[in-house]
Amino acid sequence: MAWRIGVDIGGAFTDFYAIDPDTGENIWVKGETTPKDPSRGVIETVKKSGMNLGKAEALIHGQTIVINSVVTRSGAKVGLITTYGYRDSLELQRANRRDMYNFRYRKPEPFVPRYLRLEVNERIKSDGEILRDLNPEELKKIVEKFKKEGVESICISFLNSYVNPKHEIEAGRIVRELTNNEIPVTLGHEITREWGEYERTNTAVLNAFVKPKMYRYLTVLEEEIKKMGFRGSFFAMLSNGGMAPFDFVKEYPIYSIESGPVAGVIGAIALGEIINEKNIIALDGGSTTTKASLVENLTPKIHSEYYVGRDKFNPGYPVKVPVVDIEEVGNGGTSIAWIDEVGNLRVGPKAMGADPGPACYGKGGTEPTVTDAYVVNGLINPNYLLGGEMKIYRDLAVKVIKEKIAEHYNITVEEAAEGIIKLANENAANAIRIISVQKGYDPRDFTLIAHGGSGPMFAPFIAEDLEIRKIVIPTIHPGVFSAWGMLLSDIRHDVISTNIVRLDWEDAVEKINSTYDELEKRLMEIYENEGVKSEKVIVMRYADMRYKGQEHTVKVPIPSGEIKEESIEEIKRRFHENHERAYSFKLLDSPVEMVNFHVTGIVKAKRANIKEKKSDSRSVEDAIKEERKIFLNGEFMVLPVLDRDKLPIGITMEGPMIVEDPTSTVLVLKSQKLKVDKYGNLIIVKEVGK
Amino acid sequence: MSVDPFTLEIIKNGLIVANEEMFQAFARTAKSPVIYEVLDFAVGMTDGQGNLIAQAPGVPAFSGVLDFAAKEVLEKWKDDLHPGDIIVSNVPYYSGTHLNDVTLALPIFFKDELIGMVLNKGHWSEVGGMAFGSWNPNATEIYQEGVMYPCVKLYKEGKPNKDVIDIILENSRLPDYTYGDMEAQAASMRVAARRVFSLIEKYGLDSVLLAMEKLLEDGEKYARLKLQELPKGEFEAEDYIDSAIAQTEEPVYVRAKIKITEDKFLVDFTGSGKQVMSPINSPFPATVSGVRETYMAVTDPHAHPNAGFFKPLEVIAPPGTVFHPVKPAPTSTDWEAIAYATDLVWKALAPYVPEKLTAGHFVSILATIVGGVDDRTGEPFAIVEPQPGGWGAGYDMDGTSGLVACGDGETYIASSEVYEKNFPIMVERYMLNTEDGVGHGKFRGGFGVIREYRILNSTALATLQVGRHDFPPWGVDGGLPGPGNKIFLHRNGKVEEIRRISAEVLKKGDLISFHSSGGGGWGDPLERDPKRVLEDFKNELITLEVAENIYGVKIDPEKMEIDWDATEKLRERLKRERK
Repeated sequence: MAWRIGVDIGGAFTDFYAIDPDTGENIWVKGETTPKDPSRGVIETVKKSGMNLGKAEALIHGQTIVINSVVTRSGAKVGLITTYGYRDSLELQRANRRDMYNFRYRKPEPFVPRYLRLEVNERIKSDGEILRDLNPEELKKIVEKFKKEGVESICISFLNSYVNPKHEIEAGRIVRELTNNEIPVTLGHEITREWGEYERTNTAVLNAFVKPKMYRYLTVLEEEIKKMGFRGSFFAMLSNGGMAPFDFVKEYPIYSIESGPVAGVIGAIALGEIINEKNIIALDGGSTTTKASLVENLTPKIHSEYYVGRDKFNPGYPVKVPVVDIEEVGNGGTSIAWIDEVGNLRVGPKAMGADPGPACYGKGGTEPTVTDAYVVNGLINPNYLLGGEMKIYRDLAVKVIKEKIAEHYNITVEEAAEGIIKLANENAANAIRIISVQKGYDPRDFTLIAHGGSGPMFAPFIAEDLEIRKIVIPTIHPGVFSAWGMLLSDIRHDVISTNIVRLDWEDAVEKINSTYDELEKRLMEIYENEGVKSEKVIVMRYADMRYKGQEHTVKVPIPSGEIKEESIEEIKRRFHENHERAYSFKLLDSPVEMVNFHVTGIVKAKRANIKEKKSDSRSVEDAIKEERKIFLNGEFMVLPVLDRDKLPIGITMEGPMIVEDPTSTVLVLKSQKLKVDKYGNLIIVKEVGK
Repeated sequence: MSVDPFTLEIIKNGLIVANEEMFQAFARTAKSPVIYEVLDFAVGMTDGQGNLIAQAPGVPAFSGVLDFAAKEVLEKWKDDLHPGDIIVSNVPYYSGTHLNDVTLALPIFFKDELIGMVLNKGHWSEVGGMAFGSWNPNATEIYQEGVMYPCVKLYKEGKPNKDVIDIILENSRLPDYTYGDMEAQAASMRVAARRVFSLIEKYGLDSVLLAMEKLLEDGEKYARLKLQELPKGEFEAEDYIDSAIAQTEEPVYVRAKIKITEDKFLVDFTGSGKQVMSPINSPFPATVSGVRETYMAVTDPHAHPNAGFFKPLEVIAPPGTVFHPVKPAPTSTDWEAIAYATDLVWKALAPYVPEKLTAGHFVSILATIVGGVDDRTGEPFAIVEPQPGGWGAGYDMDGTSGLVACGDGETYIASSEVYEKNFPIMVERYMLNTEDGVGHGKFRGGFGVIREYRILNSTALATLQVGRHDFPPWGVDGGLPGPGNKIFLHRNGKVEEIRRISAEVLKKGDLISFHSSGGGGWGDPLERDPKRVLEDFKNELITLEVAENIYGVKIDPEKMEIDWDATEKLRERLKRERK
């Protein structure tokens, strides 16, 4: 009874990966995602695995329900209670016009209409002092109105509650009494203690919005899985890359808003640890998007500047919860190739998704996609995908690319397909440029770990383009890598609170200590509620710091234990160093401020490490499936196609070649070499001098 | 063609990305908050002839100035440009906006051939002049607004030109910031130049030059396609700038005549008032920027704004007018007249291009400075910001509430909590301005804001300027105008209205109350769907009286229902009365 199960809901597939950490024995399976009722897809996939759930001690779940509810605006009717003068902060937002030449620009619609945004005449000052008391009579009227209007979830968010939450707590207690605990209540300061009334209020409102739905979903799932014989503990992936018991997420579902994509990053870090690669770019190529995340020294970048639905022209909705920094671009295997008004070829951001999918799926897709281009040029198997589970119709791909692209330019269908591939690769490379070059990092200092269905397909081209020297395609099948990554996550909680402390103040040391003490106390309360003993919790401290007068901050690791006078110099030193990396300058004479105090708690989970594979007597010839005629760099050539599962451990081969995995395809280019390491990872390196 | 169309596409993207990387690099490394928070800068790249091939403006008011700067550099230095040179210029009349906005230009050479130029124009916090921060509503001539850098070499063949740099720094109240921004600006430009070189290395010079040409070609082709979708003919609009900010006896008359043909988009400001001895004048390049904003809006707001795309556009403004001031007219609060350039073209076209334009918005940014020495710490503090306001209604939608004005873009209005912590003020209210209301109509304007600063310090200095007060945001097709922008000062138990103050001393307990205007309405209010009127009433955006008297809708406030019969009768009566 020690198996660990990861179940990850993705856009098209629900992935299952279970492992016995002691023996390394594993079971994986991909099932269909069922968007209307996602729990059905989860249950079907678990059934499909055929696993005896009685031998598992933990099930870790990553889902997209929270993000989908927000994006499709299908959640609870929320009532919001604010401070006098601030009912409109949800609508005013930050007043920016991100789509600046669009004179019909519209802001994101607030999640609570004005008539359900009501004020009470309380006021707390920025130093925490109470200026006007809370009046319970006002609350009574508001609750009556909420009941009359059929409000299903209540959010209370007062100005300056990040400094002093007394009124929010009091109001919460009164509202719960008045509603007999029948309507769930979310308090702003419980979700985050960072300043910024719009961002904090919006975060709390979104929590209130998804809370009833997630509560029902997780409760049903628990019951169903238990019925199937599972007797272990349930954990949900959080956006911070850690996990927490289901009960925590039932109360604060907003913490799991980006739980899907982060598991891949956690997996990449775990793999990096094993193969001793500390600086990683994790590339997750999906069916509609490509995601990239930069990992420095095996530490994911966590921030609380996350937005739902933000892009070049839309500001999106701020969600101030800790999230692993991931960049997403609309470019994946099913992205559509099209010709713009002036006749230039474009790829994405529109995609066909799983249904009907690319033309070559034969399910009625009528637009040329990236996958069609790969099929046409023979770079992925022109007969079947998913290890044979899925039939491919190359002639349909040829037809659609010919008619929609090749004829326009009067070129061959292969040339047109190559054009699509080039532009898709360029899009994927851009995601990496954004997280590296544009943030002061050189991609050449990083190893690319590529997973997802299309990640391994893009990676060798991207590496060429950005001069990345080393690519790793994980030994875990790239298509289920995220589900595996979940098995490596720790129980993690982050507590963040704004408190301005200037390091040159006389009482700075005292203030820093008391703030961290309080945060760590709150952190331990969370773990206590989950039945975890405090001595098992590893605590890490950070602070968002800045030069006085600046608005932007940088995250700085802070020494643990009691801060003394001497520690101040060390903190300053770390800040200057981090600031210089991020912004390329430091101001040694300027006063330094701590703005947000951030405490992270981690309880290490039992790791399901990858075992070394025995070298065997198989030869490369055994792995060759066929020779295939392909089209690459403007010419036809014949390449060997190798079966990934039959590749001998420890070999090195010169490109070009194609390697087929049941969940993905890898193309090794001419200037590249392929190695199979002792774990079965595919390592692609560039030949020096070529 | 030596290169296939897809590779060419990738090179084109590379050139555009080079600009985006330059933008990010500058935002990341600049020392002044006005750069990295407000994004008050723009970067761009031209070909060897000074044609803008790509640009990335942080605020739309900068979308027209870079090509003027490039042409200025080429004209002055044509035979004397060398690899490693960087030129600095900020003279508003030739290439600019106000003196604070300083352009650096870096010519790109490949084997002695000038193949392009990289440009970066950013707002420097200090360029000297009569007031801290260099802009001031009281200036009457440009010499009071700072030092002019007349297109001179900042770097010569890679080496800093110390003489020029010394003059610049010696005239700045914040030499550290000035130097830091200048260095960051130069460094970001080198990032872009490097990217161009790596493209040349990878694809060859000819392919890169071809890509530059193709960018311009595509831009022009696309602009012509978009012009086809616009109505052809002549369109006109006129308006007035408040005398209170122009410091004139009469309001300043402004007008625009627009002529759209198959291949031209001509904007003529002839007939607009003379330049004024107040810094609201819009230098000609800034006027072109202002026009380009509306041109982008009516063609395609997401188009790549390059010289090809702007080719059909021609702007005429006679020298000596508010839209083309000549030396020594002051220009440091040029945003007032720039916004009018944008707004006039918008006003002329709105009825004819309804799918792209709305009714008028609040236009003036209610420019605000509140500063002093914080009693709590003994240290100086300063709030410098625009205020948000209401935008106009569309033919099929209500206007958007609480947005920054047309000249601002990805500009964030600060959180009250942050202000209260950082500065000795209390933000008592920050809400939709339902007190002054909006321009009503079949679709109504968006709401402005009420934002109130209570001074908690012993004293504070306030500089404020508010336009579009006497001539409020306009309606379209029977839609009513908005209420106009207002600023009130509550002190000594009295309330006074403010139009323009400079470094006025405020005391503890005084309250500044910003009431920005709601946008104009679109269509007859009597045609507004009564359900929308009910919704506005339910949301406490309008009163029962407004519902009845303006919209002709009878609502039972208890049941929250429309009395349909009474509404029909009332609307008929009002229609007759209004005829």
